[in-house]
Amino acid sequence: MRVEKCYFCSSPIYPGHGIHFVRNDSKIFRFCRGKCHKAFKKKKNPRKVRWTKAFRKGAGKELAVDNSFEFEKRRNIPVKYERELWQKTITAMARVDEIKQRREGQHIINRLKKGKELRKQRDILEVKKSIHLIKSPAAGLKERRAEEVQVIEEQDEEMAVAEEN
Amino acid sequence: MTRQARKRHHKGYTHIKKKYRTKRKTKDLDEIDEDLKPQHADKLLHQKVDFDKPGSAQHYCLHCARYFVDEGAMKAHFRQKTHKRRLKALEMEPYTQKEAEAAAGMGSYIQPKKRAMITQQPTQQPTEQDVTMNEAKDQT
Repeated sequence: MRVEKCYFCSSPIYPGHGIHFVRNDSKIFRFCRGKCHKAFKKKKNPRKVRWTKAFRKGAGKELAVDNSFEFEKRRNIPVKYERELWQKTITAMARVDEIKQRREGQHIINRLKKGKELRKQRDILEVKKSIHLIKSPAAGLKERRAEEVQVIEEQDEEMAVAEEN
Repeated sequence: MTRQARKRHHKGYTHIKKKYRTKRKTKDLDEIDEDLKPQHADKLLHQKVDFDKPGSAQHYCLHCARYFVDEGAMKAHFRQKTHKRRLKALEMEPYTQKEAEAAAGMGSYIQPKKRAMITQQPTQQPTEQDVTMNEAKDQT
């Protein structure tokens, strides 16, 4: 018994599930459900269909290259049963899964950081552009004009004093 | 303007269903990729005269897996959008079960590579008429 992977969406296929398609060149295609089988019949490219694992990894949505992926493999040579090896494997599996989950989570967090930065930039720009909605540019205009007139008068007086001297 | 009929225009899904029947199944991209290898390509481009195939199987487009009636039809096909689209689709390495497994977490997922795709050289093959002419010459 073997838990196979779907040709289209890469999800596990447990015994008794899905469908096998054998092409006339004797190549086997396994599908987890009708959705994947139909998509295959329609000649859809799994790399371009957004809900498949191939798309998510190809587009950098999920962690694609990592050493933690090297444990699960297609092993065609059976391993002789050993009680100790079995127990060790069981504990190792849990540990590997834990590490894998943490790394995958970290990858997504790192990926989302970029959006946060962009959002902040956009917000700053928006505030700069539309500050007139919060504070009218005419607010306090009279006072500012009056101050300017005062300053000019003072300057004129100073000039006059300088000329006299 | 007269009122147009709004009934009896729906013809069902038969045309869609027919397209996906195994009866009408054409070669998949990974099969064509296999055909593009020199040893297979040579065989496909120089096929024996088969009267059941269009153009007696003398004009075959490797990328589209199609037979054409004559050289002219094939050359016209090379200028078509369908052919160019097919070339573009073949640029990427074909998707395999191995890639599906890598995406599922069995090994690292390595991005598929792109390669150059060029239309095959139109080969100068002896057409049916030439063959018959030669035979006629031999006899005389």
